[in-house]
Formats: sequence, structure tokens, C-alpha cells
Amino acid sequence: MPYEATFDRLATQALFDLKGPARQLRDWVGELLPEFPEQANSGTMTGGKALYYIGLDHWLLRAELPEEQALIAELRPADAPPDISIVQISDTQAYFRITGSQADEVLAIGCPMNLHAREFGTGAASFTEFFGLRALVTRCDSGFDVAVEQSFGPMIEDYLNRALR
Amino acid sequence: MMNIPCPFCGPRNESEFSFGGPLKPDRPDPNATDDEQWVGWLTEVPNPHGPVQEKWWHVKGCGTWFTIWRDTRSHDIVEGPLDAG
Amino acid sequence: MQVNRLSHGGRINRARALSFTFNGRKYQGFEGDTLASALIANGVSLTARSFKYHRPRGIVGAGVEEPSTLVELMGNDASANRPVTTVPLKEGLIAKSVNCWPSPAVDIGAVNQLFARFIPAGFYYKTFKWPNWHVYEPSIRKATGLAGTPQEAPDQGHFEARYAHCDVLIAGAGPAGLLAALTVGRAGLRVMIADEGTEAGGSLLSRKLVIDGQPAMDWVAATVAELHDMPNVKHLQNATIWAYREHNYLMVNERAPENASLLERHWRVRAGHVITATGAIERGMVFGNNDRPGVMLASAVQTYVNRYGARPGKRAMIFTNNNSAYAVAADLAAAGIEIVAIVDSRDDVPEVARAVVPDLEVVAGSVVTQAQGLRRVRGVSVVPRSGGVSRTYSCDLLAHSGGWNPAVHLFSQSRSPLIYAEGPATFVPDTPAQSVSACGAAEGQFELSAALHSGAETAAELCEGPALTPPEGEDLAYAIEPLWRVEQATGKAFLDLQNDVSVDDVHLAIREGYANVEHVKRYTTGGMGIDQGKTGNINIIGTVALHQGIGMDEVGTTTFRAPYTPVSFGAIGGFRDESVVLPYRHTPLTKWNMDQGAFMYEAGARWRRPGYFPHPGEGLQEATNRECEAVRNGVGVYDGSPLGTFELKGRDVGKFLDYLYTNIMSSLKPGFGRYGLMLSDDGLILDDGVCLRLDEHRWIISTSTGHADAMNSHMEELLQTEFPDWNVFVTTVTSQWNNATICGPKARDVMVELGTDIDLSPEAFPFMTFRDGHVAGLPARVVRVSFTGELSFEVNVAPRHLRALWDKVLDAGSPHGILPVGSEASHVLRVEKGFLSLGHEVDGTVDPFDLGMGWVMSKKKADYLGKRSVHLRRDGPGVRRELVGVIPDPDRMIPEGAPLTPRGEKRPTEGFVTACVWSVVHKRWVGLALLENGHARHGETAQVRLKGGELIPVRVTPPVHYDPDGEKLRT
Repeated sequence: MPYEATFDRLATQALFDLKGPARQLRDWVGELLPEFPEQANSGTMTGGKALYYIGLDHWLLRAELPEEQALIAELRPADAPPDISIVQISDTQAYFRITGSQADEVLAIGCPMNLHAREFGTGAASFTEFFGLRALVTRCDSGFDVAVEQSFGPMIEDYLNRALR
Repeated sequence: MMNIPCPFCGPRNESEFSFGGPLKPDRPDPNATDDEQWVGWLTEVPNPHGPVQEKWWHVKGCGTWFTIWRDTRSHDIVEGPLDAG
Repeated sequence: MQVNRLSHGGRINRARALSFTFNGRKYQGFEGDTLASALIANGVSLTARSFKYHRPRGIVGAGVEEPSTLVELMGNDASANRPVTTVPLKEGLIAKSVNCWPSPAVDIGAVNQLFARFIPAGFYYKTFKWPNWHVYEPSIRKATGLAGTPQEAPDQGHFEARYAHCDVLIAGAGPAGLLAALTVGRAGLRVMIADEGTEAGGSLLSRKLVIDGQPAMDWVAATVAELHDMPNVKHLQNATIWAYREHNYLMVNERAPENASLLERHWRVRAGHVITATGAIERGMVFGNNDRPGVMLASAVQTYVNRYGARPGKRAMIFTNNNSAYAVAADLAAAGIEIVAIVDSRDDVPEVARAVVPDLEVVAGSVVTQAQGLRRVRGVSVVPRSGGVSRTYSCDLLAHSGGWNPAVHLFSQSRSPLIYAEGPATFVPDTPAQSVSACGAAEGQFELSAALHSGAETAAELCEGPALTPPEGEDLAYAIEPLWRVEQATGKAFLDLQNDVSVDDVHLAIREGYANVEHVKRYTTGGMGIDQGKTGNINIIGTVALHQGIGMDEVGTTTFRAPYTPVSFGAIGGFRDESVVLPYRHTPLTKWNMDQGAFMYEAGARWRRPGYFPHPGEGLQEATNRECEAVRNGVGVYDGSPLGTFELKGRDVGKFLDYLYTNIMSSLKPGFGRYGLMLSDDGLILDDGVCLRLDEHRWIISTSTGHADAMNSHMEELLQTEFPDWNVFVTTVTSQWNNATICGPKARDVMVELGTDIDLSPEAFPFMTFRDGHVAGLPARVVRVSFTGELSFEVNVAPRHLRALWDKVLDAGSPHGILPVGSEASHVLRVEKGFLSLGHEVDGTVDPFDLGMGWVMSKKKADYLGKRSVHLRRDGPGVRRELVGVIPDPDRMIPEGAPLTPRGEKRPTEGFVTACVWSVVHKRWVGLALLENGHARHGETAQVRLKGGELIPVRVTPPVHYDPDGEKLRT
């Protein structure tokens, strides 16, 4: 095998786009979510739910798909006050998991961001570029998760297959 | 390929950004300017041989619009966003 | 037979023979050889023909500096214009010289030599200028050019391009580079070291030197081993750093990656700091016929003997102006090559140099004026510089050295200036313009000890703590008296062998007014192309300085360009080697579409969409007609998923949309939608689309597919930079909402059949409203908009449900003959209806009034984007091109974009046809056009004028060819 790495396309993840000041968001969602991370481009996790701080006043909530309906019921996107925005975006992203001792080498074929653990360590999460596309890269246990706009999923799958030839 | 300091993400590859052009003066009130002033504002874009303040959008990153001062002779970023990480 | 292979010595494996083919003949070399060293071992001395004059040429150098023999590799190694010295030998290699036909020995183009005095610098520019250069360019390029592009991709392996980051990038693994790497590596910095050679060592591979009392290569091996064990150090061999860009971004071409399936790998490296330890390149002496096969750089001869155990000649002459060639002479003599004499242009040869070769004849204060022989040097003419009688020495090899130039290419590419140093008589790095430093020979430290010290000190500046104590290296002291050219030369004296630029050419350029060194370069082509001034530049500068009586520093250098050495395009492209350079986007129906045999193409923003669904035997037109008729008479279904969709939230969305769109959006009530146009502030149409209001604070807006990204940028820029205090959030939901648009008079029947909890009656659910509910059991948002002019239900669901919905729609519609509709039919239907398409009718010049949409320009709003500019432009005197329908008479197709001219005369156009389609309603061709004063010309006949003068009369009509009152879409 050319690289010590493999990849899988993950099932659709439950995803919610959260915008607004952290305090107002916290007031609305209460104890439901993990702690709001304070470090830019990092995430926190509890009970299978991850919360990423991916832009100014901008957060992403991620969970497994079976949690989606319960989260909608609790987040109540349609009822949220105008100071915050909660939008269900589960279907907008195609998720890939790249693992193995050389997962970082494979990622570096398509991603210009510095992925070294010193710069992008445990808990890191950031939008960057992957094969020319906007992509959310997060560290996972033995590699990285990469999410791209869902319509590009088949092509990224093709590129990863080429990368691992 | 420049390395551009994003105020939220820190330095990132230029390919993550979209160029927004040099910063123009504030948009004048279109109902309180004469034709010449209006057309001047629309069409005259700063184009110095040296440092210029210009807009960039971190389109593939955090989505922030911000400005940098870039020296057009060397690509040196002589001044980044105020709170660049 | 490897007739010139020495019996022992060198870093080759005599136990492993490799067969190869050069210019059609078979040879053998050894593992560890380059193609060049194998050719020399086989006694092949005529290896090339020169670029312009087709003079016979041999191998001159031993590394990337080779200016003379370029080869084209064939088969799976297919590659063009590779210096023969940089091609590692491998079993089965097939190569040929690039600039001769059929071979260097029998070269048709060699006739050019007879005309050489008629082909001076600038000859082509002066001669082939009428009617213009481009008429002649192809045949001249063929005659003088380099190798062709490989016709086929390699059938095994692939290329890869990737990114990398490091604290320190070191170019070159010679003594200085290795010591620098060791220093920063031990300090824990993230280090990348890349070296162009097949193995580390740089000049130490070619020389017999001692470090700390041991053979220098032992120190290299120990150092490489230590670096290998450092997890923070990445060490690449066969890897050339060939470009230095802004912000310390460098390009590395790795030619033999560890991963066996990779042909080559391209690294784009962002480095905190760069150390150029790129060594030095020897320059030649400039004398008559200094290009004859067998006239070689002294250091190259030394490399062939020491590193490859190959003997470039049996009787050697040495010609030098500096000490380094004396060590070469000593190594050659030790290998059993007869040294006839050393010609030294200096009157006083330093004792340290003479001491290296005490038994050899040194002809001091003399110069070689000419090399004799045609296809191989047979002897040299030597005269004292002070004058006197010429003496001839017989030899089959002339090893010459005009001194050393630091390889400043990378340093210079970083925009850092160079400065002339009198001592080493060359240009050396000056103040860095980026975070870069030079060390070792690349800094002008030509002696081993100095190079090691400079490597350690340069690296220590990047770390805390004291510098490593460098090991001791023993080397001959370097001393030089520059000699830019031999004044007494007879015959053509070349400065740049690769581009066939001689001293006379430079003099001619100056005489004709091209005196600036940058002009000299362009006029003579000296230092251009692959060579990038490696061997010739400093002698050119010296020749200019002498001719003008000015100093070297006054002449200055030209700018060194990337690439430093030739790079495969394949490597730069990486594995995006097939037709898809940028990824296509797919909807959940892409596979279904392809299974149906749909003709797929890219239709905006990289979406891969079905153009039409042909039945067996059908072409585009038949299939499109069938799909159109289904929509007009029954029902069709269209995958509208790619439409750009955004959710806007906040107190100020209405205010924001009123600024963004020309009409008023803030008055929209929840549950309703409104079509609008967006202008840029210079009054041109940016996009169109529909706004839906979900509730008090939440809206959905749609944009055209191709402009979704631009609209996202536009909205974010306004909100973040112009109105940071406005409470508006924008979230892209294009791929959260896919849709199947059911359209046609039977659309409602299909909706009923699907089953829905939404009241579908026109009264309860009128045009331009939407309802949330369920369709076929799936959560859906149904929108009543129409892009076809027919009754339409746009059923939006989450993408995960689209395929299921689609199947159910086709089932429910089958009694009505439902058909899937592609982009072609969609185009026809919207042209019949006179609906706009960006890029067709909206071409970057029209405003809403031109399109007959003045109603969309709000009079109530004091300000919105584009308002002032539209009115400013319309108040001017210009005639406007306005949207009209056109009916060709006689009935025929008009090519899209065909011009309309006044009365069909050959005059400036008065408009053009934006679209022309076969109308299934009218059973004839109908079109749309932008025509000067078109609104006032309905009923007139205008003329389309095709290329060649053919005219097509067209009747001018209103732009709506179908259902002008819009009754159908409201039903």
C-alpha cells in the first residue's frame, strides 16, 4: 500500500449551523450543548455531540443522524430569537474519515493548511481547502474527518481513491 | 501564493481566500452627490505602486471579510488585520 | 564496450550492469551511473547538436549545469529536454538527443553552420518580420526548438502534488546544507532538506576530501543517518527546489519518491525560513571553438573520474584562471589520465596550487585561443597573454575552469539582491528580501572548512544556544584572477552554449543599442531557457563590462527565473491528470440520470446535469422536442436542486433585501414569494431570483445556479463591511433543499396522486406562494414558481429523500406520460416564455428597462444598489439595446450570438440574437434578441447578418412567444 492510510465515507451527520453571540446561543439552548469552545477553530464534545467554533460568532453542532429529530425539537430553529440563527444543514455536507499513521500525508495532497499537531492538535476543527473546495477538517482519534459540500462528495471519493493508489 | 493573515484563523494559504479589491472610500449618498462624484467613486480604484489597503474574504475558511495592507511591489503584507491571530 | 570505464573506483555498482538505448544504439552502463557518465564510459563523445547552428556538441558538465546535451526520454519515462547529466541510468532506458535529426552524427540541420555568420543575434527578429513573426514562427521553432511534448501519458504510475510546512527548508545536502540541517534538526525545529542529487554529499561526491581525518563521504553517511533518525527532519533526495515564490513558498520537484506508484511528486512548501546551500556552479573559459566535444568543465571531468569511474579522455589539457583545476589535475593524474599541461592565465600561480601537482607542466600567463578538431577536440592553441608565438598541444580532452559562481538562483528568485565580490570574482547573495539565508559555496565560501563553518553559523542564527563546532575539512585554498573571455580567441567563442550565444553576439547587441544587461539577455537570448545562466551568465556580464569599460557591479545581473531546472508538467498537475481538472458536482439523481442514458454535461457552477434523455436513435433535437411537448401538453419533472439557496435570519433582513433587490421585498407577507432583480452599484444586472418569507425574521432567497457563490460573497461583503450593525445572518442551504419541479398542465394531478396534506387548489395555494407540509409522505416545502410558463410545483425535500421522491413522482405521473426534463428542454421552454437567462439576455450591458422590466425598479425606495447608476446611464444620449422576440422568416435556425446589422449592411451591429430554439408550441424557430430601440420596433423586419454576408430576415415581436398574459402558470 502506497500510504499507511484508508478512508471511509461516513453516513450523513446531524449538523446545525449556529450563529450569533455565544451568550445568546447559550441562553437559548441551555444545558443541551457541550461547552462553547473559546479557542478559534477548536471543538468541544460531550455525550456524542460536538460543538465547533469555526468563525466569528459562528458554531457548528454535530451529532449522529438518529439524534437529529430530537435536536430539532430541543433547538427549535423556527422559534429562536432574531439575535441568533439556527439552521439545520445535515444534508449539506459529505463526510469522509481518513485514518492511519499517514493520514496527514494523504490530507496534505489536497489541503494547504498546516496539519502538524503543534498547529492543529487534538480538538482542532477548521474550515480550509481540500482539493480546491471549501472543507471542514477536524481531528479524530486516528486521523481526520473532512466534510465538503455534499454535491462534491462523489468527486472527493474519486480523489481519495486516486490519492491512495 | 501568499500567506494571508486571517483575523480569526491566523495565516492561511492565499488559495483559501477570495480577493475583494482595494478598499474604496465610503459609498457616498447617491442622492446627495453630483454625477461626476458618483462616477468617480464608482470607477476610481486605488492603484498605488506600493502599499495598498485591500479587502479579502476567507471564503474557504471562516468566512470573514477583512483588510490588509499589501505592498504591490513585493507582496509583502505590511500591515495585517488589527486582531490577526 | 565500456571502453572508457576505469577498472576501479567511483560510486557505481560494477556487479549490476544496465542496458540502455541512446539515439537508437544499445549500450551498457552500471547501477549508479547517469546517462551522461554511461555515455562517457562507452566512449560516446558526439552527443548533441547545438540549438541554432547545429554545431557538434558533447557533454560539458556533470550536473544540472549541463548546457549542451539535452535528451528526450521515451516510453514510460517520457520526458522532454532533460540535461543528460541529470538522468539516472536505469534498465531499459531509451533516450535520444533533442536537437538533431536523424542523429548528432548525421544532422540535416548542420548545414546552418555554413551560414553561421549570417545568423547573428537578433537575426530572426530582423529577418522574419513581414507580414509578422508568427507566420514564420512554427517552422523556425521546429528547426531550432527543443524536444516535443510526450504524446502519451506514462502507462504505469501517476504524479502527485501536495503541500508541506516546515520551520526551515534547506536547499542542498552538500557539506554546508547537511551541517545546517544537523544544527536546526538537533534544536528540534521542523526541518525539510531537499537535494537535487541521487545521493547526499554535493561536491563531496566528486572530490577526494577529508573531514575530521576521515574520507568526507564517511562524515556525510554519518550525518545523513543522524538526520534520518530525527522525527522532525524530512530529507528528500532527487528533489530539486526549483522555484522560490512570495511569502516563503517554494516548489520542490521530487523525481524518485519512496512510494513506488509515484512517478514524481511536486511539493508546495511554506517555510518559516529558507537556507540556500545550493553550492556553486563552475563557469567555463571563453575561447575559440570552446564548444567542441571533449571540451569540458574541469569539475565535470573530476566528477566522471572520481564518482563514476569513467574517463572522458586519455590525454588531457587543463585551462584555468584559479586554483580549483589543480585539484582536478591531481585526481586525473591519479586515475592514470595523462595530463599534457596546465595552462593558467595568471602570471603568478600560487605555490599551494603548484604543490598539488609538482610533476606537471604549468604554462603560466598563457591562454588557450582555440580548440582544434571538429567532432572531437584534437588539440589546443596556446599563446602567452603578453604576446608571442602560438604553440599547439595535442590532446583529446580539455578540462577548463573560469572560476566558480554561487548557485544564487533560488536566493535571487526570492527577490533578494546580489552583489559583486572582488575576492571570489563573482556575484554573491546580498541583503535578504524574505526570510532566507545562504551558506557554503552558495554564499561564496568555496573552501570546505569555510563552507562547513558557514553552514553551522547560518543555522545557529535560527536556534537558541551556541553553534555546533563544525568538523575540520581540508581543502586547497581558493584563489582566482578573473578572465571573462580570451581576447586573443580565434573562431566562435561561446558564452552560452545552450543558446549558441557568442562573444560577437553580445558585442553586436551592444553596438545596436541593447546595452543594458537585461536587453542583452533578450536580444541574444543568453541565459534564457533551461539554462537560466548557470554556466554563461557571469561571463556575459564580464564581456559587457569589458566592452563598455565599466565595473561588474555597474552591469549587474539579470533576474533569475523559475524553474531552476526543467520540471515535468505532470508533476505540477499532480494526479488531476484526466479531463476533470476541477470536480463536478452531483445531485442525488446523477447516477439515475446516467442510468437512463442521459446526455450529461456541466451546466453552471460545475454542476453535472442532464442535457436531455434520448431514446434509442434520438438526437438532441428529437429528445428535446419530446420533453418540451410533455411539459406543454402533459407533465414533466425537472431536477432543480442546483439552484443557489440561502436562509436569511434577523430583524433587518427586510431592510437588507430592499437594498439588495431593485423592488421592495420588506412588504412581503409570510408564506408569499416575490421575484426580484439584483443590480451591482454600477447599474448592471447581477442576478435574479425569488425571495420567500418564512416568518417575521426568516427568509429564503434563491439565486441562479451559476451565481450562488458570487451572491454569497456579495451578501457577506455588504453585511460585514458596509452594515456590520445590521442584524442579518446568512446560511447557505443549497444542498439542504433539493427539489423535483413538477411542471405542466397535469402537474396538479400528479401532486394529488402523490398524496399531500397541502391544499392544492389555486385559491388556497396561489402562484408565488409556498406551503410546508408532506408530499408522498416526505417532509417537503412546496413552492409555486415557474420557469417554464406552465403550472408548476417545486417540491423541495432534503437531499437524502430526493431519490425516493423522484421515483414516486415518476410513478404518480406515468398515467399522464410524465417525462424527466433536461437542461435543453428547460432552455427551450424559457425562451418560448421570454424568461431571462443570465449570460444570454443579461450580458453585462443591459439594465431592467432594456429587458422591459422597468416595473421592477422601485420608485418608492430612495436608495438601493444600482439605482443611481441605471438612471444616470439612461439619462445619457446613448441608444439602448432592448429585448425583443425574433421570428426568422424564412423559418430556420439562427446561431446564438448572430449579429443584427442595420438593413443587413456590413456595418457596426445594432444587436444580436441571444437565443433561438425550435418552438414546440409554434412548430417553428423562435428567438430572442437584444436590438437597438427594439421596444419601438415590434412588427418591423430586422436583418441577421452571418459570417460571409448571408442575411436572415427576422420579424421583431414582443419577447414573450407563449401565453403572454401568464394565465397558465397561475392556474
